[in-house]
Amino acid sequence: MRIRYGLEIIVAVVILLFFAAFLYAGMKSPDTVFPGTDTVAAEKIAGPAGGTVQPLVPQWIPPAGMEATLFALQAAAGGFCIGIVFGFWIGQKKTSAGGQ
Amino acid sequence: MEGFLSPLWCIFWWLVAVPCLILGMKQLNRVVRSDREALPLLGVTGGFIFLLSSLKLPNPFGTSSHATGTGLSAICFGPWVTSIVCAIVLLFQSLLLAHGGLSTLGANIVSMGVAGPFAGYLVYRVLKDTRAGIPAIVFLATATADLVTYTVTSLQLALGSVSPVNGDPTTAFIVYLGIFAIPQILIAVLEGAVLSLVFKYIVALRPEILIRLGILTETKISAAREQV
Repeated sequence: MRIRYGLEIIVAVVILLFFAAFLYAGMKSPDTVFPGTDTVAAEKIAGPAGGTVQPLVPQWIPPAGMEATLFALQAAAGGFCIGIVFGFWIGQKKTSAGGQ
Repeated sequence: MEGFLSPLWCIFWWLVAVPCLILGMKQLNRVVRSDREALPLLGVTGGFIFLLSSLKLPNPFGTSSHATGTGLSAICFGPWVTSIVCAIVLLFQSLLLAHGGLSTLGANIVSMGVAGPFAGYLVYRVLKDTRAGIPAIVFLATATADLVTYTVTSLQLALGSVSPVNGDPTTAFIVYLGIFAIPQILIAVLEGAVLSLVFKYIVALRPEILIRLGILTETKISAAREQV
């Protein structure tokens, strides 16, 4: 038997399981701040004394609030492209279906 | 991460990245000239790289990282064109977000823009003529692209970080795999599931583009519509 929205249901279950796993991890250790893996790796490279000499250092690091805004801007740019194209395709499909 | 790869390794990864980018530009030009109707699809696949690589997702291992979104672009346009889109995303992140860095941009292009997409593309090409369903193939290809990206990042750091962990590249590789690749497995599964759903909608809305680009045959499109 073919379920009409089978893939959608599977994806929804995967998303729910993912967030359940993350919530469980958060509840198990409430102090976890979920640092980025690159931050963890940087700490590993720097070592316990943090004394590694970096040949190059970033010339500008955005403040935390601005960083979040810029990441949101990047996500918005991607979402805008996706939305425009899918909207265009759906519109085209409806127009061609209406014309027939 | 700016400054965490030794200068010689930065140069090495740039030398690997540049020919891939040149090849990518050539292929992108060919797509732009030969099939303008494929450009919206390029916009969608590029949009997913922009979107997914900006979302830092927490994982049960207590850290957070982002998906790459490169698998879909690799399936539709191949790994070389994907390297161009990734280079744009990574340049944006390194200039404005101090995420990555200009010295390590070559290494990041190779891991996220070349190695990951190439692995995903390979999985797709190998599996596409088998009896496996299209959603399953897209899932495997996109999840592989994600995981290989972080595996190659681990390798790059193990080989060329300014302060090798324990001084031994093999041990360092295992340590970095534990930091980058193992926690990424769940995110790769999530990415694979989401992108296989997106691919289903592309098949439903504009199958003719996929046929023209040689991604799927008409028979496969009909079969894909029947599956799930």
